[in-house]
Amino acid sequence: MPKRKLDPLPSAAFHILLSLAEEDLHGYAIMRQVEEQTAGRMRLGPGTLYGSIQSLLEEKFIEEVDLGEDTKPGQERRRYYRLTASGRKLARSEAERLADLLRVARAKKILRGDYV
Amino acid sequence: MSEKIYAFLIRLFPAEFRNTYGEESLQLFRDRSRDERGLWPGLRLWIDLLTDLAVSVPTEHRHGRPALAGASARQQLDGVPGFELLEATPPRPGTFFSAAFLSFATFAAISVLIVHGGSYPALWLRGSQDQHPNATQASNSGRSTQPSTGGGHRKLVSTGDRKIDAAAPGSGNLMLVSLTPARRLLPGNLALAQSNPAQSGQPTPQDATTAIIRAFDSHNIVMFGENHGVKQEYEWLDKLVSTPQFSDRVDDIVVEFGNSLYQKSVDLYVAGDNVPIEQVQKAWRNMIGAVGPPSPVYASFYKAVRDENLKRRGKHQMRLVLGDPYGDWDKIKDAEDLGPYVANRDQWYAQVVKDEVLSKNHRALLIMGAGHFLRRNGPGYVEREIRAAGANPYLVVFGTNSVGGYDDLDSRFDSWSRPAIVSVAGNWVGELPASSVTTGGSVPATQLKLADAADALLYIAPRDAVTQLNMTQSELEGTVYEKELNRRMMIMTGRTMGPLPGEAESPMFHYPQPQMSSSGPPALPAPPRSIRDPLPPRPPSQ
Repeated sequence: MPKRKLDPLPSAAFHILLSLAEEDLHGYAIMRQVEEQTAGRMRLGPGTLYGSIQSLLEEKFIEEVDLGEDTKPGQERRRYYRLTASGRKLARSEAERLADLLRVARAKKILRGDYV
Repeated sequence: MSEKIYAFLIRLFPAEFRNTYGEESLQLFRDRSRDERGLWPGLRLWIDLLTDLAVSVPTEHRHGRPALAGASARQQLDGVPGFELLEATPPRPGTFFSAAFLSFATFAAISVLIVHGGSYPALWLRGSQDQHPNATQASNSGRSTQPSTGGGHRKLVSTGDRKIDAAAPGSGNLMLVSLTPARRLLPGNLALAQSNPAQSGQPTPQDATTAIIRAFDSHNIVMFGENHGVKQEYEWLDKLVSTPQFSDRVDDIVVEFGNSLYQKSVDLYVAGDNVPIEQVQKAWRNMIGAVGPPSPVYASFYKAVRDENLKRRGKHQMRLVLGDPYGDWDKIKDAEDLGPYVANRDQWYAQVVKDEVLSKNHRALLIMGAGHFLRRNGPGYVEREIRAAGANPYLVVFGTNSVGGYDDLDSRFDSWSRPAIVSVAGNWVGELPASSVTTGGSVPATQLKLADAADALLYIAPRDAVTQLNMTQSELEGTVYEKELNRRMMIMTGRTMGPLPGEAESPMFHYPQPQMSSSGPPALPAPPRSIRDPLPPRPPSQ
């Protein structure tokens, strides 16, 4: 299968990486976390969410983990995802890239200092 | 309703995405629907979903070329093109309809353009005398490939077949057979056309457990046509469900030997909860499809699933889904009460698979008597129904080295490791008569070949080493359960049970007894009028 492009890192993928920075989450929890961290501006739909997750899994920026959730028979199984070391590194470099942009924006007096 | 709509919309995604994330997407939809109730949140949810579909469906189709599902045929013969399998599942019927419609629309549009914009008339507007050269060629080609209809094929035409999950001799346990008339086999020329190619290949038996696990790589459903009560078969099944690679990937095991009235108790039991065994065993003791004391193999199998789930606390759990109709023997007083349940056993089993397995995108092992699953003149009812619902099943049936009459044992099986599963396509195993192989020779050979009846054969042991586990006379004698079983047998057959085996283990296949009486066995009572009734509403699960 052709690899999807993660360079430049799409916004949805970046937010997913950020959502996993502190804890392992399943798909719906990732969607809620992204919604929260964007103050409701981004609500990932299933296609975008799982398309991005698949890209990140393929590139090993995240991994599927078994959290030992006690699934009762008949209940749905949930897949949890965890940020890998390379995923954390990617998120950091993307954040730094954005921070650089912000510095430029501030230097150009497009943004005021309150934001960073 | 809205979930069904969204489940339908998920079909817009490529198959690989659907298979991997379809259920997750649906789960996310359920979660959001649960949390975002009301007019505005509901509207916002649908706007989000439709926007997401509009963006992500094209993206997934652009990126999501499916991985190869099968190796390509050997090719490179000087420019002869080869083909690779890109999809693991066959296209849905709707796909063919859409493809046909689009093809027709495209063809019509081009023809209209030609008619109105150029000097060439549309192909279908040409006179019959002015045939397109390719049409003649195709027609000739068709004639040349038409199978011969000479008298030879009449040898393969059979008058019918019979269901084979009738009472095993000596088992004391009556498994109900279909009341529908026996079906005819494939017409001779069709049977020839299907069985002729590649008979010369050698079978490659695999370790049975490994083969089942591998089957789930490319199939979401594995159907196992069992022989009821066989000790060696259930020893293997118990081992199968205890194998981590199986319990990791299989969500449900749908069994014939469980009355679905008791699904709730069985769910709790296999989840490891403390449920009185008297409540749980109603599932296999109160079956509609089997009147008579159940073999102990079933209780062991339920326990094996429970034990494995307990061992895997916190990990993926398996569910036992009960596929026997939900008739309540406490309320069944006569044959009229029983009729609708008996008549709808296959229908209910298929419905359960659709509701509890396929709608959740689960993987499942289906276990039912081989007579229900064997393909005779095409797939059986259950297989047809689940295929229509999108399943991609793989059918394995139980069998032995019995390849003709009772005395015809095939020594070619002797060198195989056991238990083994072997594909029956394109080798001598597929040429064997299905009725003999699956019944230990107690049912005479018919023209139905294994290759036409199933995908694979489970060879568990030589015929004479196969035994059944029985509930013995001493276990049952004088109990309330014995009285109840006799009552049920009277309703079903008009007579009480015969004596049970004295031994807990006995040979599975006995030499067919010659008919001593010219009058034959006593006739069963006439079918009740209610045999044509649909199933009554399902009561709450117990």
